[in-house]
Amino acid sequence: MGASQTRPEHNYDDLTDKSGFSQEQIKNLYQRFQQLSGNNEKISRDDLERIPALNNNPIRKQIITAFFDKRNQHQNDVGSLDEIGFEQFLMVMSHFRPVNSTATEEEKASVRKQKLRFLFNMHDTDNDGIITLDEYRTVVEELLSQSGAIETEVARAIADAAMLEVASTNVPHMAPDDFYEGITFEHFEQILKGIEMESRMYIRFLDMNTATMRCGKLSS
Amino acid sequence: MEDLWTVAVAVFQLWMFVVVFFITLPAMFGLSLGVTSVYIQILVKLLEWATIRIQRGRQEQPSVPAPLPNGIIERAEGSMEEEMEQLRRSRSLEGGEFALSDALYFCKKGLESIVDDQVTQRFSSEELASWNLLTRTNQNFRYISLRLTIFWGIGVFVRYCVLFPLRIALAIIGLSWLVIGTTLVGFLPENSVKYWLSEVVHLTCYRICARALSATIRYHNKENRPQKGGICVANHTTPIDVVILANDGCYAMVGQIHGGLMGVIQRSMVRSCPHVWFERSEMKDRHAVTSRLRAHVAAKTKLPILIFPEGTCINNTSVMMFKKGSFEIGGTIHPIAIKYDPRFGDAFWNSSKYNMVSYLLRTMTSWAVVVNVWYLPPMTIQDGEDAVQFANRVKSAVACRGGLLDLAWDGSLKRGKVKDAYKEEQQKMYSRVIVRQNGISATHTRRDDQS
Repeated sequence: MGASQTRPEHNYDDLTDKSGFSQEQIKNLYQRFQQLSGNNEKISRDDLERIPALNNNPIRKQIITAFFDKRNQHQNDVGSLDEIGFEQFLMVMSHFRPVNSTATEEEKASVRKQKLRFLFNMHDTDNDGIITLDEYRTVVEELLSQSGAIETEVARAIADAAMLEVASTNVPHMAPDDFYEGITFEHFEQILKGIEMESRMYIRFLDMNTATMRCGKLSS
Repeated sequence: MEDLWTVAVAVFQLWMFVVVFFITLPAMFGLSLGVTSVYIQILVKLLEWATIRIQRGRQEQPSVPAPLPNGIIERAEGSMEEEMEQLRRSRSLEGGEFALSDALYFCKKGLESIVDDQVTQRFSSEELASWNLLTRTNQNFRYISLRLTIFWGIGVFVRYCVLFPLRIALAIIGLSWLVIGTTLVGFLPENSVKYWLSEVVHLTCYRICARALSATIRYHNKENRPQKGGICVANHTTPIDVVILANDGCYAMVGQIHGGLMGVIQRSMVRSCPHVWFERSEMKDRHAVTSRLRAHVAAKTKLPILIFPEGTCINNTSVMMFKKGSFEIGGTIHPIAIKYDPRFGDAFWNSSKYNMVSYLLRTMTSWAVVVNVWYLPPMTIQDGEDAVQFANRVKSAVACRGGLLDLAWDGSLKRGKVKDAYKEEQQKMYSRVIVRQNGISATHTRRDDQS
């Protein structure tokens, strides 16, 4: 008697430390990983693109790229991968884990910084540390104009206006000839200061106590 | 050596005698010796004991996780507009234009879809809340106790060595009787005797096949049984659905012509009874399909047609989009809901994982097939309703009756990607949020502010 499928020996303790998920959550995520990858060792972009609900999301390209982006692997690496294994999948997911209510202020600040960094990386595609006007425009266009409800011109105008506001807030004494390079990470943090990352950017996992264990009674 | 041989022959003869006289013949007449129901009752008691034992074992070993039937994450219930409102209110800057923080909402929704979505899980077998002592459904269950292991071992022996040969014999008898019987009936001229005989042959054969699966079928609301000239729709889980439904009445089947054994069966069936089999090339031509079906329905004396509008096998936890083709034909629709009891075996045919033969072998070595069939009252298309809305209405009724989840997704997503038209929906909604928040139209020139 035992598991009918062979599972590779993952060092779950190691993963718990690195990612901050509990053992049970890691096991659930592993099953999901298997489902998405078709029982392979690695997930490719195609596997993620096949999820129907994700296809409806306007920024699906950015989200999928984020999974294959080396910057989100906590390792100071740059570039992108073609396929990811389970550990890398977990690392990206760990940006969305809830903050422990028992965490210290420092820990909370560092988690918040991590989440902001994830968002920043999603916008900053060429990894120069700045979100330029072009990159910002790309995101707005993805969100708005692909549907044809708003034309590209309008979307562009909206992006430009928003960028201008950011510039005027963060560099208040800008002379009319100065060129605003782009949003740095510090500015980014400043802009999103009021927003509670803890509740907006996390995924709450259900655990055993909240699930109902039935005896298999049929509902009729 | 001689003695051994004669003994073996004698045992075999005795066994065949039992099979024929105690199972096949009563089955053909719709009678039952009650052995199967006793078997099911024993099984239920055994599984309940096993569940309690496993629960107790799990409390003692907290590292063994439980499968979560409702998905592994909790989702926020608000709509896009509500969540955007909340996001913007918490910002100190003036709301009204696009903001970087809006991307947060989509980011979170995207991650949620990656972790757990409603569609991908429907195309693999349902995870059980508790183990039913079959190795193949053992996802997470580890060694709990010696007695459980012993029962599992006995179960393996009973299923493979006692039940399986019995079932194979019955299946062979049933299928050959179908082929021979329908071919013989096909030689008769078209008169009422022929129809009656063909019904008898079909019914008896399906009853034998049902016994071959140790199927216990409970029919509810028999007063709503489909009449001649109607169209029956049902949710689709496995090819065995056909056997289950045909045990209680004769239907004209609709489907693709296959090759091999299935093809032989299909060709012989159509000799005695007007089933509607299509060539693959014809399936693509929807008008040809619809006109043939219309002709069949118009002749009110013909048997009711059985169609599975989902188009593919789903894992019996939900009902996916009903394709509108069957609902455009006109006529009365008789919906049927089929729900398999997952404790006794997994009925879902995962066609990408198993082919037909291995699927049948797996089903024949499960405990049994226990299924509830509900006949729903007939429905017709109402004024001002188009085929799609009618299809959705029927789908909701089927899902509600069968205790299944009602999903709007298309079953063909099993094999293909989402159509582009759906992808734009979210963007349209978001654009509306932005434009509305801007107050006046979005083309209000902000361009003068640009430097």
